[in-house]
Amino acid sequence: MPQPQSRRRCIFSSYRRRLLLAILMPALFLAACADNSASMLTGRGPAAAQINTLWWIMFVVGAIVYLLVMGYLLLALFRRRGDRRGDDDEEEASEPDEGTGIVIWGGAVIPAIILAGIYGATVFTLSALKEPEIPEDLTIEVTGNQFWWDVNYPELGIRTANEIHIPVGQPVAVKLTSEDVIHSFWVPELHGKLDLIPGQVTEFWLEASEPDTYLGECAEFCGVQHAKMQFLVIAQDDEEFLQWVEQQQQPAPEPTDPMIQQGQQIFLGSSCVYCHTVEGTNATGELGPDLTHLASRSTLAAGTIPNNRGNLGGWIVAPQSIKPGSLMPPTQLTGPDLQALLDYLETLE
Amino acid sequence: MTSTASQPTDAAPSVPEHMSNLKVRASDRPWDQLTTAEKLEQVWADPPGVIGWFKALQNDRIGVRIMSTAFLFFVAGGINALLMRVQLAEAESTFLTAQRYNELFTMHGSTMMYLFAVPMMEGFAILILPLILGNREMPFPRLGVFSWFTFLLGGLLFYSSFIAGAVPDTGWFAYAPLSGPEYSPGIAMDYWLLALGVAEVAAIAAGVEIILAILRMRAPGMSLSRMPIYAWAMLVMAFSILFAFTPLIVGSLLLELDRRIGTQFFNPQAGGSPVLWQHIFWIFGHPEVYLQFIPATGIVSMVVPIFSRRSLAGYTWVVIALVATGFLSFGLWVHHMFTVGLPQISMTFFAAAGMMIGIPAGIQIFAWITTIFTGRPVFKVPFLFVIGFLITFVLGGITGIMVSAVPFDWQVHDSYFVVAHFHYVLIGGVTFPIFAGIYHWAPKFTGRLLDERLGKLHFWLYFIGFNVAFFPMHISGFLGMPRRVYTYQEEMGLDIYNLISTIGAFVLALGVAVFISNWFYSRRNGRPAGDNPWNGDTLEWATTSPPANYGFARLPIVHSRYPLWEQVSSSGEVDIFEEDHEPGDTTNTERLLQAMSEWPLRWRAALITGAVDGEPVEIFRVSGPSIWPAVAGVALVTVFGSEVFALHWLTILGLLVFAAALVGWHWPNQLPYTDEEREFEEKYNIPVRPNGSLTIGRWGMALAILLLGIALSSFLFSYFYIRLENPIWPPENLPLPELVRPAIATALMLLAGAVTWWSVNNVHKGNLGRMRLGLMLVFLLGAGALGIMIWEYLQLPFTWQLNAYASIFWAIGGYMLLLLLVALGMNLFVQVWAWQGLYTELDNAAVQNSALFVYGVIAFWIISFGILYLAPRFT
Repeated sequence: MPQPQSRRRCIFSSYRRRLLLAILMPALFLAACADNSASMLTGRGPAAAQINTLWWIMFVVGAIVYLLVMGYLLLALFRRRGDRRGDDDEEEASEPDEGTGIVIWGGAVIPAIILAGIYGATVFTLSALKEPEIPEDLTIEVTGNQFWWDVNYPELGIRTANEIHIPVGQPVAVKLTSEDVIHSFWVPELHGKLDLIPGQVTEFWLEASEPDTYLGECAEFCGVQHAKMQFLVIAQDDEEFLQWVEQQQQPAPEPTDPMIQQGQQIFLGSSCVYCHTVEGTNATGELGPDLTHLASRSTLAAGTIPNNRGNLGGWIVAPQSIKPGSLMPPTQLTGPDLQALLDYLETLE
Repeated sequence: MTSTASQPTDAAPSVPEHMSNLKVRASDRPWDQLTTAEKLEQVWADPPGVIGWFKALQNDRIGVRIMSTAFLFFVAGGINALLMRVQLAEAESTFLTAQRYNELFTMHGSTMMYLFAVPMMEGFAILILPLILGNREMPFPRLGVFSWFTFLLGGLLFYSSFIAGAVPDTGWFAYAPLSGPEYSPGIAMDYWLLALGVAEVAAIAAGVEIILAILRMRAPGMSLSRMPIYAWAMLVMAFSILFAFTPLIVGSLLLELDRRIGTQFFNPQAGGSPVLWQHIFWIFGHPEVYLQFIPATGIVSMVVPIFSRRSLAGYTWVVIALVATGFLSFGLWVHHMFTVGLPQISMTFFAAAGMMIGIPAGIQIFAWITTIFTGRPVFKVPFLFVIGFLITFVLGGITGIMVSAVPFDWQVHDSYFVVAHFHYVLIGGVTFPIFAGIYHWAPKFTGRLLDERLGKLHFWLYFIGFNVAFFPMHISGFLGMPRRVYTYQEEMGLDIYNLISTIGAFVLALGVAVFISNWFYSRRNGRPAGDNPWNGDTLEWATTSPPANYGFARLPIVHSRYPLWEQVSSSGEVDIFEEDHEPGDTTNTERLLQAMSEWPLRWRAALITGAVDGEPVEIFRVSGPSIWPAVAGVALVTVFGSEVFALHWLTILGLLVFAAALVGWHWPNQLPYTDEEREFEEKYNIPVRPNGSLTIGRWGMALAILLLGIALSSFLFSYFYIRLENPIWPPENLPLPELVRPAIATALMLLAGAVTWWSVNNVHKGNLGRMRLGLMLVFLLGAGALGIMIWEYLQLPFTWQLNAYASIFWAIGGYMLLLLLVALGMNLFVQVWAWQGLYTELDNAAVQNSALFVYGVIAFWIISFGILYLAPRFT
C-alpha cells in the first residue's frame, strides 16, 4: 500500500538574506505636541496635564521595551552563527528546553514588574483626578441631543447651547445626561471623556489653566451627524466670565425698531417656536437649542459653521445642505422676511 | 444516476451502499479488484455532480470553501475601508455622504469582525487540523457543511442590505438606544442583527466540531503534552467561541425583540438600560478580539520553529500562556467601558486585568524570538510574515497596555489612537499570521508552493502599506480626531496625517492584490511542493500534497512532540508507524493501525482516542455525504432573512423545513453489525461502531448543553442587571409570580428526569420494552409540564411590553419552553425509531444522548424556576 513518506530534502537555500526593517520613528509623536487646536498633549487643564504625565511615563517605558524587544529580534535574526554545521540539510541539534529561562524572565517576570509600575502610575493618576472641591453655583448640566449640546447653569439661571463658558483656573462640575442616544463629552486639551447616557447622570469636571477657546467633540457615535456635533469651552478670567453671566441672565430684549419687531413676529409666527425658546417671548420649544442669546455664540449647528449673518440665513433656509441629517427642518421664507428675521435674531446677544 | 446517497442498489451489491451513486473513478473494475488505496479513495470521495457539490463534506473541501468565503468578505471589507480612506484623505471632503460613510464603517467593522477573521481561522482548522492531528476527518463533517452554507448565505444576506437600500449604520457594536426601535426605524438594523446572528450560528457550529476533533480525534500516542501548539490554540479559540458568541446571540435576540415586539430591555424609560447592551456586547466583543489573535499565535508557533530549524522554546509556557489568555480575555470587557462612568473600584480592577494579559503575550513573544535566536532562521515568505507580525504586534500590544491605563483611556478612547492600536493588533497580529499560514500550508491546499518572488512583493507592500496607513493614526488621535467621523475641519490640522494614511491603505490593498495574483498564478505554475517542502515536524507534512481524501491511509503513531524530526528509525528514516521500542517488536496499537489501514474499507472509519493520553478508544463511522445539512443551512438563513422583512409565513415555512432537514440529517442509516466487526473488536480489543460513535455523540451533546447553559447564563445576567437597575422588585407594584402551576410543572419535569434514568438503565440491561415505555412516559410528562407552563404564561397579569422586568420574565420563560419543546421533539424522534426496533442493547447512542439533553433541560428549568419564582420571595 502506498504510504506517503517524509522526504528529507529541504528547499531552503543556504544563503541568507538580510532583512531591512523599516521601523517608523516614534519621535513622530512629538509632532502631536504642536500647537493644534485640539491636541490632548498640550495639557492645558490640570486633568489633561496629569494624564499627559501618565502618557509620557508610559511612552518612555513603552518605547524602551519596544526597542529592546526589537533589538532582541534583530539580534535573533541576524546574529553571526558561525559554521556550526556546514550542511544545511542536517537538522539543528538544539535542546528543546534551550531558552526557556529567557522566555520566563523576558516574557513574564520582567513584564510583570514593568506592568506593576504602570499600574501604580495608573492608580495614582486616577486618584489625582478625583473631582476637586467645587462651589455649588459652578455646576453645569450638559444634555446631549442628536446632534447638539444643551448647556444649563441651574444655579445661575442660564441656558445656552454648544458653548460652555467657564472661569479660568477654577474647576467646574459637569453633570452629563442624554435626551436620546449615547454621546460622549470630550475636550481633549482639558480632560478625558465621559459618556452621556439616557436615563443616567454621569459626573465630570473641567478646569482650564489659561484663558482660551477649547474645542469639544462628541466622541461616541450617535447617528448620522456625529461628526458635526462639536462645542466650545470658553475659559475666561473672572471679570469676563461674570460679565458673560450677567449678560446671559438677561431675557431677550424687547425690540423697538419696527423692522426688528417685524422680524420677531416672523419668528413667533413660524414653526421655529415649536423647537426653540427665546426667554421673554412665547417661544418655549425645547427640542432645539435655546436661542435667547444666539447672537452671542460664535458657531452655529454645534460647531459646524461660524455664526454670522450669511451662515445663519443659510442655516435657516437650508439646514440639510449644511448638516445633512440634522433634525432642523428647512424654513420657507421670502427674501425680505428672512432679512427681517435675521435682523431680529442678531439682536439676541 | 440517482442522487440519494443512502439507497442501496441491487446492481452493484459489492459497492458500499452509500457509495452506490458514484462513478467508479479509479477504473471500471469491480470493487473486489481495486487496490486498498483506491477503495479508500472511493469510500472517502465526495459525490460528483451539481447535487454532489451540495453534499460534499470532505474536510479539506469544506475548509477551503470556508476560507475562500472568508477571504471574499475580507476583500469586501477592505473595499469599504478604501472608500472611507478616500473620503478622509482631505478635510471636508464630499466624496461620500455622512450616511454612506456611516454605513461603510459599520459594514467594514462588522465584516472584518464577524465574517472574516473567525471563519477564516475555523476554515483553516477544518482544513488542516485532521492532518496535524493525524486522523482522517473532522468528527461532524455534516456540521461543517451546515456551518459553511449558513456562513456564506448569512454573509450574503448581510451584504444584500446594499441592494435593499437599508444598510446598517450604527457601527459594529450597535449601541442601544441608537440601534433600537426609536432611533433606527426601518430594517437596516434588523439586517445587522439577523444576518450576523445566523452567521454567528455558523461560527459556533464549526467551533463545536473543532473542540471535538482536538480532544477526541488525535493520532494514537498524541497525548496533550505532545499536541502541536496550533491545536492548543484552536482548542482555546473554539471554547472561546462558545463562551463569547452565545451571549452575543442572546443579546442580539433581546435587541431584536425590543425592535420588533416592544420589549423594554434597553429602554431606560421602562426600567431597562442601554448599558446592559454594552455589557453583553463586550462580554462577547473583547474575547472576540482574542479569539482571532489566539489562533493567529497558533499559526506563528508552527511557522517559527520550522523556519528557525529548532523546536519552539518554552512549549509548556506557551501552552499556559494560550490558556491563560483565553481565560483572562473574559475578564476584560469593562476595558471598553471606561468612559461609561462606572465606579472607580471596578475600573481599577479591570485595568489590572487588562495589564495582566500583557504577561501571557510577553511569554509568547519571547518564546518566538528565543526560538529564532537559538535556531538558524531561513527567510522564506511565511517567515517574513511572521517577522512582520512580531514588529507590528509588539507595538499594538504596548499601546494595548496603555489603553488599559484608565485615565489615559479616557483621553484616547474612541479616538484615532485606538483605531491605530487595534489595527496593529488585528492586521498586525491576525492577518500577518493568516498570510504566513497560507504561504506555509499552501502545499496542503493545492499541492504547489506559492511563488516566492510575488510573495516577497506581497509582504513588502503589505508591511509598508500597513505601517504607513496606521502609524499616523496614533497622531491623528492625539490631535483630537474622534473615531467614526465622516469628515473633519481643516483647522484641526489633520489633513496631512489622513492623507498619509490613505496612501498607505492603497499600498496595503496593492499587497493584497499581489497575493491574489500569486494565488491564481501559483495554482497553475507554482512549484510542486512534495510532501514536506519546509522540513516540517508535524504530521501534516507526512501526507501527500495535496492530501488524499482520507488523509492518512494508515494512521500514524506519535511518541514525540516533533514526530517527523524525532521519530527516526536506526536507519535514519522517519518512522511514524512504530511506537518507541526496540526494532522487531510490535505492539497492539501498531497491529491495530496496520489492520485499520486494510479494514474497514466499506465505510468511513476514523479513530477516537483518549482526551488526555491519546490512546485508541473506538473505531467509528464518520457520517457521509448528505443533502440535508445544506438544506438545513438554507432553511435557517431563510428563517432569519424572512424575519428581516417580517415575512412571518416564510419564517414558519423555513422553520418547518429546518426541522425536517434536521430529521433527515440524523435519519438512521444503519449498517449491519457483522461478524467482521465482532472479529475485529476481539482481535484488537477495541469497540467498532459502524453506526456512529457513542463517545462523539455524548461529547457533542455535552457541548450542546454547555452552549444552552451559556445562553441561559446570558439571560440570567440580563435579569440580574435589570434587577440592579430597579430598586423595587418586581417593579411597578407587580405581584410576586404565582407558584402553584410552575411548581406542578417542576414536579412533572423531575419525574420525567427519573423516568428517563429508568429508561436508559433498562436499555443497558436489554429491557427494550421498558425503555420504550419509559420514553413514552417521559414524553407525556414533558408535554404536561409544557401545557401547564403555557397556561401559566397565558394567565400572567402583564405582557412583555410593560417594563424590563416583564420583558426578561417572558424571555427566560420563553427560552425554557423552547428548550422543552426541543426535548419533546427529540424524544419523539427517538421514540419513533425505538418502536421500529432500531436500538439494541449495544447500539443505542440516540437514546442515551437524548436522555442527556433531558437532564440538561431539567437542570436549566430548576435554576430558572428558582430565580424567577422563588428568589423574589426571599429578598
